[in-house]
Amino acid sequence: MTAALELIGVTSGYGSSPVVHGVSLQIAPGEILALVGKNGMGKSSLLKTILAFLPVWDGAVRIDGRDVTRFPPHRKRALGLAYAPQEQALFQDLSVRDNLRLGLADDRSFEARLADVSGWFPVLTARLSQRAGTLSGGEQKMLIVARGLIAEPRLFLMDEVTEGLQPSVVDRLADVLATTRRERGTAMLVVEQHLPFVLGLADRFAVFKRGEVVDAGPVDAGSAARIDEHMRL
Amino acid sequence: MITLALDIITTAAILFIVAAGLLIVFGVMKIVNFAHASFITVGAYAALMASRFGLPPVLAPFVAFLAGGLIGAATERVVVRRLYRRPLDAILATWGLGIVIGQLVTLVFGREVQFVPAPISGTLEAFGVDYSLYRLLLVPAALVIAGLFAGLLNGTRLGLSTRAVIMNENLAQGLGIDSTRVRLITFGIGCGLAAVAGALITPLASVDPNMGLAWLIGAFMLVMVSGGSLLTLGLSCFVLGGLQVLASTFISPILGGLTIAVLAAVALRLRPQGFARA
Amino acid sequence: MPDLATVHDVTAPTPLSSSSRPLLRVAIAALVAAAAIVAGPFVLDTYTVNILVRAFFVAIAALTVDVLWGVSGTLTFGQSAFFGIGGYALAIVFTQFGFGPGEAMLAIGAAVGATVVVAGLVGWLSFYPGSTPLYASVISLVLPIVLVQILYSGGTFTGSSSGLVGFESFDLTLEAWFRLSGLAVIATLVATTIALRSDAGRVLGAMRDNDERCSYLGIDTARVRIGLLVVAAVIAALAGFGYVGFGAVAAPENAGFVFGTQLVVMVALGGRGSLIGAVIGAVVIEVASAYLSSSLPFVWELIVGVAFVAVIVVLPGGLLGGLRDIGRAVRRRGAAASAPVMLRTLEQPDAAPERDAIVVEVSGLSKHFGSLSVLSKISFTARQGELVSLVGPNGAGKTTLIRCLADGRERSEGSVRIAGHSIERLPADRIVGLGLGRKFQAASVFETLSVADCLRVARVRRERPSFLKTSPVLTLPAAARAVVESSGLVERLGDEAQFLSHGLKQALELAMVLALEPKVLLLDEPTAGLTRAERQGFAEILTGLVARERLCVLIIEHDLDFVRLISSRIIVLHQGRIALDGSVADVVDAPLVREIYTGRSASDGCGVTP
Repeated sequence: MTAALELIGVTSGYGSSPVVHGVSLQIAPGEILALVGKNGMGKSSLLKTILAFLPVWDGAVRIDGRDVTRFPPHRKRALGLAYAPQEQALFQDLSVRDNLRLGLADDRSFEARLADVSGWFPVLTARLSQRAGTLSGGEQKMLIVARGLIAEPRLFLMDEVTEGLQPSVVDRLADVLATTRRERGTAMLVVEQHLPFVLGLADRFAVFKRGEVVDAGPVDAGSAARIDEHMRL
Repeated sequence: MITLALDIITTAAILFIVAAGLLIVFGVMKIVNFAHASFITVGAYAALMASRFGLPPVLAPFVAFLAGGLIGAATERVVVRRLYRRPLDAILATWGLGIVIGQLVTLVFGREVQFVPAPISGTLEAFGVDYSLYRLLLVPAALVIAGLFAGLLNGTRLGLSTRAVIMNENLAQGLGIDSTRVRLITFGIGCGLAAVAGALITPLASVDPNMGLAWLIGAFMLVMVSGGSLLTLGLSCFVLGGLQVLASTFISPILGGLTIAVLAAVALRLRPQGFARA
Repeated sequence: MPDLATVHDVTAPTPLSSSSRPLLRVAIAALVAAAAIVAGPFVLDTYTVNILVRAFFVAIAALTVDVLWGVSGTLTFGQSAFFGIGGYALAIVFTQFGFGPGEAMLAIGAAVGATVVVAGLVGWLSFYPGSTPLYASVISLVLPIVLVQILYSGGTFTGSSSGLVGFESFDLTLEAWFRLSGLAVIATLVATTIALRSDAGRVLGAMRDNDERCSYLGIDTARVRIGLLVVAAVIAALAGFGYVGFGAVAAPENAGFVFGTQLVVMVALGGRGSLIGAVIGAVVIEVASAYLSSSLPFVWELIVGVAFVAVIVVLPGGLLGGLRDIGRAVRRRGAAASAPVMLRTLEQPDAAPERDAIVVEVSGLSKHFGSLSVLSKISFTARQGELVSLVGPNGAGKTTLIRCLADGRERSEGSVRIAGHSIERLPADRIVGLGLGRKFQAASVFETLSVADCLRVARVRRERPSFLKTSPVLTLPAAARAVVESSGLVERLGDEAQFLSHGLKQALELAMVLALEPKVLLLDEPTAGLTRAERQGFAEILTGLVARERLCVLIIEHDLDFVRLISSRIIVLHQGRIALDGSVADVVDAPLVREIYTGRSASDGCGVTP
């Protein structure tokens, strides 16, 4: 079975400094992989590399078996890839509706998809014409996730979507993601520091340290302790 | 008094039409298109050709838009595209392009000054004075252009993509928007608009290969001051254009021509990012 | 790693005339050119001589454009205005007062005086902290337009649109003018070459490459640029003076915007930054224009336009730049063509640990953007001999805090004292003077300067550089020298910084900052992208600096293993506030810190944003 996402020895960086060193990993269709690790270790950079915001110096990126290493960022969406960046993830001056519209390639199925959005996060459909910048932090994160899911992606890359969220919202998010995976077979790569959230959701985990995967395995009872060791201050 | 007011309003309208294309390019692509002047010239000559071929004068702006848009898109593809990371060099390269286009126009049409008859001549009695009808009609023309652009930007999918690229190009790319194509279309439209301006102002001024230059600096300063907002551009055209008319009338026409450049330079010193968010 | 306490003086012997060999080459070239100039009128026909005289004066103006644009990075369309001021000063004085030695002195005085005033004003307007290169270009564009309009409205005083003609001017033969103008070009070229190659001249290239780094090395870049503009303007004005003195005609076209852009075109085609390229470009275009514009009027300008666009897009270095690139490709890349450099260690008194003073005092520091609060009432002190690590999750405000310490205009409220002096609202270059050194996260050096020159520029604040010579000796404080030697930079002193590996660039930047002899060192994620060995070496350097030199080091780091290894103290920032401030032992196992880093548990119930 072809992996939804496959990285083979990927190395990349900024200017002359490498940040990702020969990373290899695989995500099967419908699988959720948690990417954990301390700050500044390169997790966000890895996501940016998959999208080609950072040039790949070495190695290959494959989506559904297709080599997309050299594809520019805007072509990734057509491949069924959705991305929720950690910073500057919304157009603050556009309305909630317009931000959601931009999650789809065109407006044809927008109204139909809105029904899905109201099922996930009713608060968003109640505020469609509000400027995204006026939403609370939690609502903004919900909008980011909704925008990613609205196109029914095959692969959803998420960078710290629970940052600054209340526990109740975190739970809701976990529900929505789990349901989406179950009903639509969406594979997910979740970069997170919030361990309880991500371990409750993911099938497998990988620990990222200084640009490399230093530990990986299926999520089970012992995973939390294992990860803790790596996260120790 | 009334004449003065009408002068101010019509001057503002003309400035707006000339500067709008430059603003659109600057807002989306963050570079200044110094070839703008030569596209004004292209538009004027396109209008000339249209009248020579016997086309109704109403069609002249559309012919100009087509000519300017196509040439503009071609130059984006070949030249401008490589300079996005070097904005100062982009100014220089577009200036060079302007020279090239201007010289090509001269080669084809010769250096003499030409005249294009105004499609609508005569005066209108407005508020008790007789005023050039053509000049007055430029005011609704400016409003139509502004309206078309607002409509395009806010009402269409392309407009949404363009606004996204303006606000955050990386994010837009991550959402699947081909920002390269958006830039191409924007540059083409900006140059087309310059050509339309050229076509519209030909009846007011003579047509010669260097006519666009006089407008370039004023338009450039107005765009810098307005910081990327169409609305602020309109206001700047009104305020600075009005001050220019007043200076020309009460002080001297030559120094009046300096008003926009000098006041805009001072304004930018106080607020370098322009006044879009004032 | 060499023990800092035993590092001695000079290691390599000084080769004879190491800095005078390039000067010798310049002198020889100048003499040959001068001989050609003197011989010129005998070989060339009158028409050509006539054109060349004008071309030479224009070439001097183009040279000033190259110094401003190619060397220091300010695109200027306005040198034509100063050319025009010089020319019109002569024309107006001779028209009003007639010709004579006294009148000639008055004319020169007027030319220089008016230029200095206008250039000073324009410089003050264009170069201020926070100005952008685009704005400076805008002003330089507006200047000739304003000047021309003033000329147009000057009536008979300025000749309006027809200019001034018919005044009596210097009575020299054509041959004499030729030699005078030709030698003037050579003299200007030699003088600028010497000045730009000197230690002081390096600063201009440094400003072009990285203006921010210069500010953080204590250089007031605005003042340097204004000074440079005034000098360049005066030279251009004298060139204009000569031009109009020769032709006895002063026309507004010589002062206008179009001429100003032609100068830029000449420099671009000849090769920006090469100086001699500007001269060649100017002479070639002026001569070709004169000959071709009568036979191929429009095509010639078209050719120039196309060539200009092609050069900007494809060959930014112009003709000479292209040749230089070919030459470089033929030679080994980065081969040191400059004179060998000697390192010398600065004599410094040993630092006494008992006298560890407080060097950083932060009190009530806050920073907000509108209603968004990034830093909130930050207060702490730090002494010499302390290595304080600043840690915290993304968005905690760490880099903002560094910025507020290094630049007095950044913070919204609160006070900061460095080495006992309040930073008030001082700009970065003044705070460097108080004893602060800041190292950026992405190695911020001068890409086109050699390693040795980067270090020289870093020493500018402490040692007045020569305007004439390149010193063969590079004096560094012991700490900086230790970094240079232990990292291996000592073998790459002649290489351009852009060819260094990432780790070496980081080492270079550290050495540059240490060359400032700072009391406080601010480091922003210095280990990002370093190999394990490099990190180890870096840790040793830092601990050495703190232990022996008694520096106070504040370091932002994400690598908590590194932090644990080197710190004497850790400050944890969270959402703009100090969450913890204590010794390594206190902080490392604190439960609050674990929560901050690994997220809240569901039972915690303390949501952040509603």
